[in-house]
Amino acid sequence: MRVSLDWLSEFITLDKPAEEIADILTMAGLEVEAIELADDDLILEVNVTPNRGDCLSLLGIARELAVLTGKPLKMLPCEVKGETEPGKKIEIRDETLCRRYTGRIIKNIKPGPSPRWLQKRLESYGMRPINNIVDVTNYVLVELGHPLHAFDLNTLKGDSIIIDTADKIYQKIKTLDGIERKLPEDALVIADTEGPVAVAGVMGGALTEVEESTTSIFLESAWFKPQSIRKTSKALGLGSESSYRFERGTDLEILPVALDRATCLLQELAGGVPSKKLDAYPVKFTPARIETSPGRVNRLLGTAIEKKNMISILDRLGFSPEEKASSIMVTPPSYRNDIEREADIVEEIARIYGYNGIPTALPSSSLSAEGIGPMRKFMRQVKNVIRGAGFDEAINFSFMSPDALDFLELAPGDIRRNAVRILNPLRKEESLLRTTIIMSLLEDLKYNLSRDIRSIRLFEVSKVFIRDEGEDLPREPLKLGGIFMAQKTYRFWQKNGEDFYIVKGVVEALLDEFRITGRSFEKCQEPFLHPGKSAKIVIGGKDAGFVGVLSPVLKEKLDIKAREDVLVFELDLYMVIENLPAVPVYGPIPKFPYMERDVAIVVEEYLRAADILKLIREYPSEYIEDAVVFDLYKGGKLGPGKKSLAFNIRYRSGGKTLTEEEIDSIHKGVIASLLEKTGGSIRQ
Amino acid sequence: MDDLSSIKQSFLHELSLVQGIAGLDDIRVKYLGKKGVLTGKLKTLGALPPDERRSAGIVLNEMKVLMENELALRKQALKNRELEKKLASEALDITIPGNYTPPGRLHPLTQTMLDIIDIFSAMGFSVEEGPEVETDYYNFEALNIPREHPARDMQDTFYVSDDVVLRTHTSPVQIRAMQKRKPPFRIIAPGKVYRCDADISHTPMFHQIEGLMVGEDISFSHLKAVLEAFLHRFFSPDVPVRFRPSYFPFTEPSAEVDIGCIFCKGAGCRTCKTSGWIEILGAGMVNPRVFEMSGYDPQVYSGFAFGMGIERIAMLKYSIDDIRLFYENDIRFLRQF
Repeated sequence: MRVSLDWLSEFITLDKPAEEIADILTMAGLEVEAIELADDDLILEVNVTPNRGDCLSLLGIARELAVLTGKPLKMLPCEVKGETEPGKKIEIRDETLCRRYTGRIIKNIKPGPSPRWLQKRLESYGMRPINNIVDVTNYVLVELGHPLHAFDLNTLKGDSIIIDTADKIYQKIKTLDGIERKLPEDALVIADTEGPVAVAGVMGGALTEVEESTTSIFLESAWFKPQSIRKTSKALGLGSESSYRFERGTDLEILPVALDRATCLLQELAGGVPSKKLDAYPVKFTPARIETSPGRVNRLLGTAIEKKNMISILDRLGFSPEEKASSIMVTPPSYRNDIEREADIVEEIARIYGYNGIPTALPSSSLSAEGIGPMRKFMRQVKNVIRGAGFDEAINFSFMSPDALDFLELAPGDIRRNAVRILNPLRKEESLLRTTIIMSLLEDLKYNLSRDIRSIRLFEVSKVFIRDEGEDLPREPLKLGGIFMAQKTYRFWQKNGEDFYIVKGVVEALLDEFRITGRSFEKCQEPFLHPGKSAKIVIGGKDAGFVGVLSPVLKEKLDIKAREDVLVFELDLYMVIENLPAVPVYGPIPKFPYMERDVAIVVEEYLRAADILKLIREYPSEYIEDAVVFDLYKGGKLGPGKKSLAFNIRYRSGGKTLTEEEIDSIHKGVIASLLEKTGGSIRQ
Repeated sequence: MDDLSSIKQSFLHELSLVQGIAGLDDIRVKYLGKKGVLTGKLKTLGALPPDERRSAGIVLNEMKVLMENELALRKQALKNRELEKKLASEALDITIPGNYTPPGRLHPLTQTMLDIIDIFSAMGFSVEEGPEVETDYYNFEALNIPREHPARDMQDTFYVSDDVVLRTHTSPVQIRAMQKRKPPFRIIAPGKVYRCDADISHTPMFHQIEGLMVGEDISFSHLKAVLEAFLHRFFSPDVPVRFRPSYFPFTEPSAEVDIGCIFCKGAGCRTCKTSGWIEILGAGMVNPRVFEMSGYDPQVYSGFAFGMGIERIAMLKYSIDDIRLFYENDIRFLRQF
């Protein structure tokens, strides 16, 4: 709220510099965000929190300053003379939504422009002057925080002002802005005998608008239920200075004061003969009675504020404190509808006492400290392993474009198509929650490539969101995703060979880190990957992710011109956690030496190294300790369709040192078995 | 014996001229071999009278030992020289970079979050997690933000359905923690949050860390002490901290916490909008209504909660002036941290 110091000084004497006033207000919860110089005036930009609707006025701000500085509040003189019979009656048909409605008729009024001083004040607040009648209602709104509305009396049909919900009776109204609006059934309306004339608390109707030709008005000062006004304003997409205040709760007791204040101003500026006041007040204001114990206040705040000091603070706030033996009984004023229970009293005492006067005391430490917990520890470890492999961490928005699913060519039944849809996205491209990290990483790749960055290794750890039919909330699996592209870079040490194995190695390093043994890499069906250069990551027999070269089709669709492959991987981290081994149990270190033998065999190209290794490991000899593949060769004399794989086999006995002869005999057996089972031959 | 001294002279002279281990053998043969000069002398001993034989024998043997020692010394020296030569020829250009994969960097938001988590962890706080897609109940209702409450305007919400939202803050984890745990406890909940807002200073997704401490005698003094300790540890031990009243529906009393501007030291600059203070977190005592809704008796338990935006803190820490940089994932940005 914009507060003109010039205008504010009508309510309270300001004998301090603006910065000091700003500081006093800020430290009491009315944060002054800026001080603006305007001609010969200073404007404070005050951030009024939603609980303090009472401070959305100069009166409210002045009231706070009075509490904080001890300066008295100045009340504005106002005396309404010459009261005639109003000739209208007020009919409140929903007393919950409208607890009080006051109004009066002013006849022989002359609309015209407001005087300059008034226009200037409205402008200081940020309002556009319209005519003296509307301007006065706005002026009083800023002064007292109470919204008023003026109807052109001659357009109001019948002798009743009806306050009722729209239901099915009042379906449509053309509002002041000229738009015909359909009203929600639970919207509160003001109606005459013919139909709705205003959306209560939100906006007046076009038909009853005050114009230059207006000669008489009906001036309304009413109270409407905050929740109802908010709902209607949201439903119609209509917000106004009035609805803003009604939503935050207005003062039931100020209605006639605001009405009289506006009447006085109107008489002064536009003439006119006011009628007697109409005041329908079916549900009276009942002040809250709150008991608070000084001991409890001090315990909650960690303070030792004396009871009499608390009483003095509450008295300055207008809370009419009554001292009891061990407590204070408080009756908050009608404008403080935010004060409902003891906690609110505690805050008021703390606020006026000053937060910075409250001492500090570290709580005693707890023995149940769990530290960061296993999940966070795990995530740190994951990130550090991947980081060690040269990948920088990316963080992307959790959003995804609906086009991404087709772009990745996901099959119709693919679970990643079960994306959560946002009803009110900022852009269509951000209307789904992502079900995979890959699309975001591809976008990061494009972003960096277009900036001439040639070596790209990025990873991200994030939840993705899978909608489950029949569940309110989606599943949130935790994924690790990565992207790799190494274009020609001027590094001294070049690596040769397929990038696939570099990236697969990163995944293996991670699984090794966590000692995940039951894992394999199987043929992969991901539609966005190169079918021959990709693998499904299988952990504990379940599909846990993929690693591979982006398919040439996608690369082209992404308009990536570089010759080098783009590699991606994604791994379900919860599946890694599920397969974490138990605490290792120590096994004795071998006492006897091992012996090694190498063998290279030429086999059909489609045979997989893993399968041949499996044959070696399954060979019936207790002496085979381990076997690894250490060379792959194609071409040359081998001819098409063939490849040579070289294996190193390690033999060891747990009970003795094996002799050369023993090893040779087993090794011969292994080779014979391999050749027989693979149909291969020894490489010459 | 003049003869002997000239033999010694020429032996030492020849030895000093030898440049290779092979040459040493020639000298050995020449002096100590079967037909060597010294060997020849030793053979003549038998012809001497017995009394001379003994003293001449001693002298000749001393000479032999000396020659053998000199040969060995020379051999070691030559060996050392050869090794030096070999090593020198193998010398590398040590200025060529090592063969390694330069480690990647953790995202500055992650680093900031880790720092914050570690500080609170050291103060006994445990880490709690909660879903990012939340029910309206946990995100709003249970935090004393009913429907049609103006406080809902404080947060522009992404809706998935009428009852399901993308969490607008990490505060719903407070409720989940209260349901799961028994007091006393202290937790923090880091994570992503979402608001329907994108401009120069807002991104639709950002990160927060929530904190909650509940017990039987937790006071505003504790809140102040814990947050001051955190801010002093994170920024610097002498950064001024101030608490001022504010409003959050789920805390009462509520506070905003400011630190003295770390750039201008309170003098007033662009970052602190000339106020000398930077708003850093929101906090307060848990609203008794929140306790009641989670089945805690507010007459028995009290607690404090706080929340902070990680982006803002990371921006201050690393002097980053545009929040959008965090989400562009430009490698030239990421590699700076």
